[in-house]
Amino acid sequence: MSDVSLRTRFRLGGARARHLVLAVRIVAGSAIALFALSTPGFTSPLSINALLNAISFIGCVAVGMTFITLTGNIMSLCLGATVSASALIFLASLSFGILPAFLIAILFGVVITAAQGLLVGFFRANPILVSIAGLSLLIGGAALATGGQRVYPGGEGLQVFKGRVAGIPVEALYFFATVVIGQFILSWTRIGRVMVMVGSNPRAAYAAGVGPAMAVTVAYVIAGACSAVSGVLLAARYGSGDMELGTGYDYTAIAAVLVGGTAIQGGSGSVVRTLIGVTVIAIIEVVLLLRGFSQQLQYLITGVIVLAVIMLHTIGERR
Amino acid sequence: MPILAVEGVTKRFGPNEVLKNVTLSLDAQEIRAICGENGAGKSTLVKIFTGVHTTDDGAVLVDGKPTEIASPQRAQELGIALVAQELSLAPALSVLDNIWLGNREVPLFHRRKVLRERARAALEKVGLGDLSLDTPVATLSIGRRQLVELARMLTRDARVFILDEPTATLSDVEIERIFNALRALKAEGKSIIYITHRLGEVFEVCDTVSVLRNGELVGTRRTAEIDRAHLMQMMLGRSMGEMYPRWESKPGRPMLTVKNLHVPPVVQNFNLVADQGNVVCLAGQVGSGAIEVLRALAGLVPDATGEVSVMERPVRLRSVSKAQAAKVQFISEDRAGEGVFLRLHVGQNLVATRLADHSQLGILARQGLRATAEKLAAAAGVDRARLHSMADELSGGNQQKLAFGRAIGDDEPGVLLMNEPTRGVDVGARAEIYRLIRQFCDRGYCLVMASSDIEEVLGMADVIVSMYRGRQIATYRRGEADVHRVLADITHPVAAA
Repeated sequence: MSDVSLRTRFRLGGARARHLVLAVRIVAGSAIALFALSTPGFTSPLSINALLNAISFIGCVAVGMTFITLTGNIMSLCLGATVSASALIFLASLSFGILPAFLIAILFGVVITAAQGLLVGFFRANPILVSIAGLSLLIGGAALATGGQRVYPGGEGLQVFKGRVAGIPVEALYFFATVVIGQFILSWTRIGRVMVMVGSNPRAAYAAGVGPAMAVTVAYVIAGACSAVSGVLLAARYGSGDMELGTGYDYTAIAAVLVGGTAIQGGSGSVVRTLIGVTVIAIIEVVLLLRGFSQQLQYLITGVIVLAVIMLHTIGERR
Repeated sequence: MPILAVEGVTKRFGPNEVLKNVTLSLDAQEIRAICGENGAGKSTLVKIFTGVHTTDDGAVLVDGKPTEIASPQRAQELGIALVAQELSLAPALSVLDNIWLGNREVPLFHRRKVLRERARAALEKVGLGDLSLDTPVATLSIGRRQLVELARMLTRDARVFILDEPTATLSDVEIERIFNALRALKAEGKSIIYITHRLGEVFEVCDTVSVLRNGELVGTRRTAEIDRAHLMQMMLGRSMGEMYPRWESKPGRPMLTVKNLHVPPVVQNFNLVADQGNVVCLAGQVGSGAIEVLRALAGLVPDATGEVSVMERPVRLRSVSKAQAAKVQFISEDRAGEGVFLRLHVGQNLVATRLADHSQLGILARQGLRATAEKLAAAAGVDRARLHSMADELSGGNQQKLAFGRAIGDDEPGVLLMNEPTRGVDVGARAEIYRLIRQFCDRGYCLVMASSDIEEVLGMADVIVSMYRGRQIATYRRGEADVHRVLADITHPVAAA
């Protein structure tokens, strides 16, 4: 069999390719579940707790990233820094009270990403480059403002964002709320539908007169707000913060988005899928931890999984 | 002896037999058309000839000997060359470089004089003798690029040239150039396989025609021995009746008025009054400005100027949403590029422009949307069972109906702008789209379409406006024009300046 015919063999029709991808997903999902459940200690309250925590911080960012990916803008490299920066802002403004500090942090996150969204949406700037610029600005700005020192809370009230309610970590509740709101925006609002249309085909969205630029900007705004929520939760958990807090979150978030099955080229995906993606990655990490694998190996394996998912999609989407 | 043949070839993809026991043969110096509706198996057959697919049953014969064409490289060695729809030239490189690109005869460093001479000779054979070898390909028109590609195949000593719908995006003048090149190749002793949707071309340039239907060979005929109706019947498996609907053309009350429209850099001072219930065709080739006029009216051209009014109410140019508010809807010729959301459901596509009517404070009324999608699907003849299919699972004709359904409303009629309404649509679906157009005009819509297909223009128009290089040449009512006048207008208008 020559490699040419092998290649064409993989080039299936649309519906069949989708079914194949779905089947592979189900098999892989069951394998991971079996592997997890057979790991001693996985179902213990302690490990479930660790799992929920891991999901929550990354998860909020991943929900935000979903909107950027969905509108066809691939990913933002700036969300991790937005997490850190809004955590710092939150801690610094705690002196105004917990609610104002929370709102200021969210507003900050929104302003940071809205500016990028305007550039990407209205001026068609390259989303990756814009996010790299945003990243540099945030890191530089934060270094100037803090003089490189850690930031400690300027007031009381952090308990609202940690501890547990009915045995569930509060962080997880905030994350689930983010998922619900995110999915609602996507499936039940006009702007959400327009975002999917823009991601699916930006030129068709323009020709249909639905205002693609606005939808892209709003997607970035949501990403900023979600990242800021993650920043607030992290700040509350650790009681202090620096710009390292959210480092690497953008990468893990995009991994979760892709593993969940949102298309990297945009136009297809959902927040619920991202929830699944985040959970799968977290389960794998917890299992690897419980089985005594090193941190480096965990990164490696996560990388392999993301690559495998991308390959799966490439095969599924090819015509 | 046939130069290339297939005997009893069968090809399956999973459970689907896309070619069933197909036998045909091609002689030297023969131009063979292969016709069939979308999905008839034409492309699969081509891919077997060019080594992209291998056969499941049956044999491919080259020079009478059974040969396995296992890869595109092997096909090239055997002298079988595909001139693809998507061109494989490198736009930034010169004509000369493109002709020799990928050719194994070329030495690594040396640019010999003989390469220039051979390239020049090949270009002359395809009718590009006037072209400088150092011109970057990017500056050439699509038609000329296709000719360069033919020249490139010539330098590789190809014996069988396969052209897959070469004229889909070309103007008539460019099509004529391609035809001349094909005749020249034939005189050189080459054979040509010519895949097309346009039946006129079969009779104009081909010696023989093979018709495929549902993967089976219906038959092979000499073009001199059959006529159009016969060919169409072979393709469809039934008599077509008439391709174009019959109706009585009468003026209505003016619906769309355009004064002094300028669309830089092509169109100057365009004026038009289109009546309710009428089909107005802007006939013109690529570059005539016909397509640009419609894009401007749809609000898609940011620097267009002019006065436009619908039902005596002025409409602001340069805004899609303003045009839509005035009930002006645009259906693009580039379905994959800007017409249809291929990876969204059919239902979501249908309501894409109607989200505002079905939402309150930004929250969607999903039930209302579903009902509207069903209504629009019924109106445009899209199968209701397919509302939840992805749009990319539909054929070209069904996608066009989808685009049509999106443009029509369920309330008062408006203006429909359609560029090349049947591009990439097979014969059967084409008649259906013409019927839809007529049906909506009878309901009070006004349809303005740009088309480079003269037959379609004559078959569909109440009013024909011929255009050449951004200028209006003449306006005819139905019955006043014939093929020759319109063709003359849009190619080289006499005394029009």
